[in-house]
Amino acid sequence: MKVHVNLNVCQGHARCEDICPEVFGTDAVEGKCVIHQPDVPPELEDKARLAVRNCPEGALRISSR
Amino acid sequence: MTRAFFPAPPDHVPAELIHDFDFFSVPPGEGDPTEIWHDLVRSGVPSKFYTPRNGGHWVFLDYDDIVEAYRDYSIFSNHQASMPPMEHWPTLQPVGFDPPEHNVFRRLLAPMFTPKAVRDITDELRRRSAVLIDGFAAKGSCDFIPEYAEKFPTSSFLYLFGMPEERLDDFLTLANAFFRTSDPKVKGEAVNSIFAEIDAFFREKQKNPGNDIASTIVTARDADGNPHSWQDMLNCGFLLFVAGLDTVTNTMAYIWRHLATTPASRAYFRDRLDDPDGFLRAIEELMRINAVSNIVRRVKDDCEFRGVQLRRNDRVALPNTVANRDPRTFRDPETINLDREVNVHVTFGVGPHRCVGSHLAKREIMVSLQEWLKRIPDFELVPDQGQATAFGGSVMGFRSLKLQWPAG
Ligand code: HEM
Ligand code: SF4
Repeated sequence: MKVHVNLNVCQGHARCEDICPEVFGTDAVEGKCVIHQPDVPPELEDKARLAVRNCPEGALRISSR
Repeated sequence: MTRAFFPAPPDHVPAELIHDFDFFSVPPGEGDPTEIWHDLVRSGVPSKFYTPRNGGHWVFLDYDDIVEAYRDYSIFSNHQASMPPMEHWPTLQPVGFDPPEHNVFRRLLAPMFTPKAVRDITDELRRRSAVLIDGFAAKGSCDFIPEYAEKFPTSSFLYLFGMPEERLDDFLTLANAFFRTSDPKVKGEAVNSIFAEIDAFFREKQKNPGNDIASTIVTARDADGNPHSWQDMLNCGFLLFVAGLDTVTNTMAYIWRHLATTPASRAYFRDRLDDPDGFLRAIEELMRINAVSNIVRRVKDDCEFRGVQLRRNDRVALPNTVANRDPRTFRDPETINLDREVNVHVTFGVGPHRCVGSHLAKREIMVSLQEWLKRIPDFELVPDQGQATAFGGSVMGFRSLKLQWPAG
C-alpha cells in the first residue's frame, strides 16, 4: 500500500501526523504534510488508512502500489 | 447612498427561504448558546436560508455546503466580510484577504505555529498552566473562566509575543474590554487601546528584536526585500490577539463544563495521562462537539450556488457547530464518543484560512487538562451558578463557570 498527498489541497491540519506519525509528518515552514514512508509497511496499514480518512481536506490518497 | 461591500435588500430571495434568526441573541436562561443553532436545525428550516437580522445574511447548515464555502474563495470572499456590515473595520492580516494576497502574511505566520514549533514551547506552556492552577487548587473552588480560561491563553500569548509576564493583568483588562462588551463605543475604545499597545510594543521590538512572534513580524521582508507596511503589521498583531484568546477561553469553558458534569469523561482522560495519542484523539472529539466560532463570508459577485441565487455582498454565516453534527458526515453525531475514529470536524475551519493557531490551541487545551487532572482529579459544578451568562455571535460561550472539588 502506498500513500500520496496533494499539497495543493493540504492545509496543514496535521491530523495525519497526530494519528500515524510513523508515516506522516508536517514540515517546519508551512506545516504541510510530509510523507516519511510512501510505501506503508503492512503493520502500519490500518493506522495509515485511518489517518487518510481523518484528513479534513481530502488531501491524502491510497493506492495499491 | 450606496456603500462598498454593503449588501443590497434581499429582493432576490424567495419568501420560502426567509426565516427570522438572530445568532447574536441567546434567550434569557439558555445556558448553552450552541443550542440556538441546534434548535434551528431541529425546527426543519431549509439548509440554505436567509435571515433579515444583523444586516441580513444567508445561513448554510449542511457540512458539504459549509466546507465548499470555506474552500471556494472565487465565490466566498473574506475581504470586508464583517457581520453586521461595518465601515472602517481594519482589514486584518491575513484573514481579511483572499489568496493570493492572503499568502504573504499567512506564510509569515505559518512557521511559528507548526506542530513542531508548538511542541517546542510545551514546557513553558506547562509551567504557566501549573502556576495558575496551583494558585487556586487548595481552595477547593474557582470561577473557571476569569481564574483560568481567560488567564492561560493570555499568558501564552504574552510568552509567544515576547511580552513580559508582568503585563498579564494589563492585557486581561484590555481583552475583557474588547470581548465582554456589545457597546460599540466601548468596543471602539478597546480596539484603539489594543492597537496602541501593539504599536508601542512593535516599535520596541524593531529596536531590540528577540526570538518571538512580534520580532518576526517587524523584521520580516516582502518579496522585494522591504519591510511590510506598518499598518499591515499592526493588523496582523491585532488579529492574533482577537483570534487566539476568546476562542480558546470559550472552548475550554465548554470542555470543563462537560467534564464537571460527566464523571466518565474525567476518568477517561485521567486514565490516559500517559497516553498522548488517546488523550489527543479524545480532545479532538471535544473540539468537534464544542465548536465555538461562527464564520462569515461575503459573496463576491451575483451567482447561483447549489440551487440558491446569491447577490454580490450578501453575507453568509457558516456555523461550525452545525457542520460538526451533520449526520451525513458523522456517525451518531449527537453522541460524545471519545473513541471516535473518523472525525473530520471543521472547528478550525478548512481551506486556505484554516486556523493557523489550531496546533497551539489544541496544545494549550491538552496541557491545561493534564496539569488540571494531576491536581484536581475530580470536580463538579457549584449547584448555584447564579445568573445565566451565555452569549452568542461570532464566538459563543459563557462568562462564568463556578467549579468545586474537595479542598486539600
Ligand atoms: C479553540 C480555539 C480556536 C478556534 C475554535 C479557532 C477557530 C478559527 C477558525 C474557524 C478560523 C478560520 C477563519 C476563517 O475561515 O475566516 C481561524 C483562523 C485563524 N485563527 Fe484560530 N481558532 C482558535 C485558536 C486560535 C489561536 C490560539 C490562534 C493563535 C494566535 C489563532 C489564530 C488564527 C489566525 C491568525 C487565523 C487566520 C488564518 C488565516 O486567515 O489564514 N486561532 N481560527
Ligand atoms: S491531515 Fe490532511 S490537510 Fe492536514 S496535514 Fe495531513 S494531509 Fe494535510
